[in-house]
Amino acid sequence: MGLLSPLNLLFGFSLAALIAIYLRAKSRPTIEVSSLMLFEEIPAPVAKSRRLHLDLLFWLEALALGALTLAVAGLYLRTSQAPGPGRRHALVFDLGAGMGAVNEGGGTRLDEARRIAKQIIGDAPASDQFTVLGYALEAETTHAAGSKPQQARDALAALTPVDVAARPAALRAALLRARSADQIDLFADRPPPASVIEDARLGGRINFHQVGAPAPNLAIVALDGGLPRATVGRCVVRNLSNHPQLCELVIEAGGHEVFHSSLFAEPRAEIVVPFGPLQAGGPVHARIVTPDALAADNQRWALAPSIAQAHALVLSPDAQVRDDLARIVLAINRNYLVTAADPNHPDSFNHAQHFDLALIHDTSAAGVNATARLLIFPEPPLDGSTRPQMIPVKRSVAIAELQEREGAGSLSAPVLLGPARVIAPPPWMQPLARGVGVREHDTFPLAAMGYDGDQAIGVLAFDVRDHLLLDPDRMDALVLTVDLLHRLVAPRDIVIEPTGAFVAVTAGAKARLVAPDGTVSPLLGDQWGQVRFRVLEAGRYLVVGNGPAMAVYANYYDAGESDLSAPAAELVRPSAEAISAGPSQLSVRPIVLPLAILALLALIGESIMLAQRAVRWRTTHV
Amino acid sequence: MALATRAFEPEFLQKLDGLMLSTRRARTRRAGQRIIGRHQGGGIEPENFREYAHGDDLRYLDWNAFARLDDLTIRTFRAERQLEITIMVDASASMGMPADDDKIGLALTLGAGLAFIGMSENDQVRFAAFSGRRGGSRLETTPFRSRRETYVDFRPFITGLKAGGETRLATAASELIQDRRVPGMVIVISDFLVGAGDYEEALGNLAGVGHEVKVLHVLGDRESTGNYPPGNYRVRDCETGELRDVSFGPTAAEACRRRIAEHTAGLSGFCTRRGMMYAQAFGASHLNEIVTREFPRLGVMN
Repeated sequence: MGLLSPLNLLFGFSLAALIAIYLRAKSRPTIEVSSLMLFEEIPAPVAKSRRLHLDLLFWLEALALGALTLAVAGLYLRTSQAPGPGRRHALVFDLGAGMGAVNEGGGTRLDEARRIAKQIIGDAPASDQFTVLGYALEAETTHAAGSKPQQARDALAALTPVDVAARPAALRAALLRARSADQIDLFADRPPPASVIEDARLGGRINFHQVGAPAPNLAIVALDGGLPRATVGRCVVRNLSNHPQLCELVIEAGGHEVFHSSLFAEPRAEIVVPFGPLQAGGPVHARIVTPDALAADNQRWALAPSIAQAHALVLSPDAQVRDDLARIVLAINRNYLVTAADPNHPDSFNHAQHFDLALIHDTSAAGVNATARLLIFPEPPLDGSTRPQMIPVKRSVAIAELQEREGAGSLSAPVLLGPARVIAPPPWMQPLARGVGVREHDTFPLAAMGYDGDQAIGVLAFDVRDHLLLDPDRMDALVLTVDLLHRLVAPRDIVIEPTGAFVAVTAGAKARLVAPDGTVSPLLGDQWGQVRFRVLEAGRYLVVGNGPAMAVYANYYDAGESDLSAPAAELVRPSAEAISAGPSQLSVRPIVLPLAILALLALIGESIMLAQRAVRWRTTHV
Repeated sequence: MALATRAFEPEFLQKLDGLMLSTRRARTRRAGQRIIGRHQGGGIEPENFREYAHGDDLRYLDWNAFARLDDLTIRTFRAERQLEITIMVDASASMGMPADDDKIGLALTLGAGLAFIGMSENDQVRFAAFSGRRGGSRLETTPFRSRRETYVDFRPFITGLKAGGETRLATAASELIQDRRVPGMVIVISDFLVGAGDYEEALGNLAGVGHEVKVLHVLGDRESTGNYPPGNYRVRDCETGELRDVSFGPTAAEACRRRIAEHTAGLSGFCTRRGMMYAQAFGASHLNEIVTREFPRLGVMN
């Protein structure tokens, strides 16, 4: 009810106005008579009384006004419904990775939730309706309200946990969808955030069913292959139980085991396991062989950089920039042979040489033969030039600010950069950062990356002169540059992403996706042959398209979701009365219509009384 | 005032047609007989013969009888004479209260009806409305009309009269007397919501100069029954402006009716004692009953 709303409160003040009118009317109205001699002997004891005497008309008007005010304010009734036919149930399931954990007696936590839900369906009258909802990254209605129990059971069977942590926002959205139900059964392996339950304002309609007993779990937290033949790799394993555990860890690279050992993990402790150095670059796979409750976090992939010698070209008219960029390239991979050249001296590098990576600053990329190119502060079109540019430059700004960066979102404080070029990246490029010119409002891309055929092309729209990338106050610019270089030189046939991420790979117009569990699904590419999908299962995905198959490795780890020792819930439990009464819960029923009818009846009654008085007193001003 | 227009509706006048207003005063006088005063009208219809007496008008001596019988014989005639009827209507503010009772309309309608009846005998009829304005008295009269054809000439006066001012009945009666007309009939139509001394003085003075006085007491439905909406009110006298706090209800209504009854009994008793005809006209809704039941009390007959 919204009586606290200022507008509705104003409606409520109409009652005060009515009382004021009656007080005014009852303040002894003056009427004219033919002569006082007819009234001189009439005693008027009441005339001295100050007690307010309100007649039935007042109460009828007050009733009508009060009913209308409450109707406008949206008064509702919360009534306790006895179990009866035709009730609406919502079965809400946590589909996070934890629900895929295996119980001691076999079966997953989701299976246990299904069993309880089926029991609820079986105990309910045949006319009851069930809605099945799941949530992890997002809320999803698996089965809309229907009265056929078998359809609801089929929907339960179709539920599948995904290897991501269930987000509170998804739970909030699921409860919002379930809000119209008379009874909501929430199934999860850990207590939901109390704030989410309170915000949903479901009252006593929600029953929380916590499934799964506390279980031990080992998880690979991180994996770093190190530099082949140079530095050791590291694998971090965490024991997420309150008991010590034995952990058999296997690390493979290039089809060979590079580490295999049994480790003793202290309760709630992390083990940093060094291995290597690896002999060659490529994917590195670590897995825990010891069985535990949750398998999704028992394996992890990483990519070790290639050890093959590669050639990089740094082309810039500014000597300082050439020096800075060369140092950054070598920091990423010391196996690079970097050639720094001045575009004003065409003979400073071999134009016929093929480079694996070319960093081209404030000059034309024409005449550079490279597999991957990073255009920095791309050159604007020359006056009168009709030659199409690889990255169209629309205009320049004197000072730009870096406002948001992929992976970091909107920066808390914009990073002040130097001059920048406002570029219009072609559609096959994916923006990675955006910024704005000083005293401007419209943002424009400051970094983008994409594939033009076989060439990987990245662009940084801002100038990096004056040691911008080495300025500690503008570290975001350096991070953005390094991240972009990593993407440019990464092998295109191997992608490693965390679960829940969207993956875009070039695979042609039509492709097939082979999930880690072996299921195959079709993918349709866009006009540039890119297919996009979301990895929700930890393991190796295979994208088979026109060219060679590409592997996408999905890593899962979430400190909260992987911790399977969550205590039993205490905050949301059905009350004893609710348990004894079965699935009885409170329901909210708006009573606008009855209030309107009540107001109408009061007004009709008032009209009848007025008409009666008019007839009785033969007056028209009753 | 809408009620006053009924006085000129054919249905209303048709009911009054054929009625006659009786008077205690002789409508005829004997011509030839010695009388004092200005009225010496000639004979029209032979009535009798009698012996001559000293002082008789020799114009009425029957010379034929003297020639045959040698006796002086006076021929007497009966001559009809016209009666002056003044219908005094109270036009004070109290006649306009309560507004829905339309007492002034009722008074004018009944007065017009009596005038119409009076004109059937070719009596001279006039209206006189009285009220008190700005401390003085105002008596507004119409010319005498005697033929029914001229009855409609009263219409502007009847329909245009508004209630207002104080009730100055005694003053109005004095003004009427000062007009020095031949004694006739005066029909006073009022609510008589004044002190007993006031109306006794007025009516007594009128009767004292020889007028035959008839009293028609007019009251409204509401004030005669005390039927006011219940509740606490402050009542204001429409003539004096005096205020009084009262509480309307069944008890008050009963007291009001008792007061009316006492006031009516006082007026009626006074009229009876002074040989005046008294009739009541309580409630405009009872117009037909008043005509049929109360008009005979005023001497209206078929």
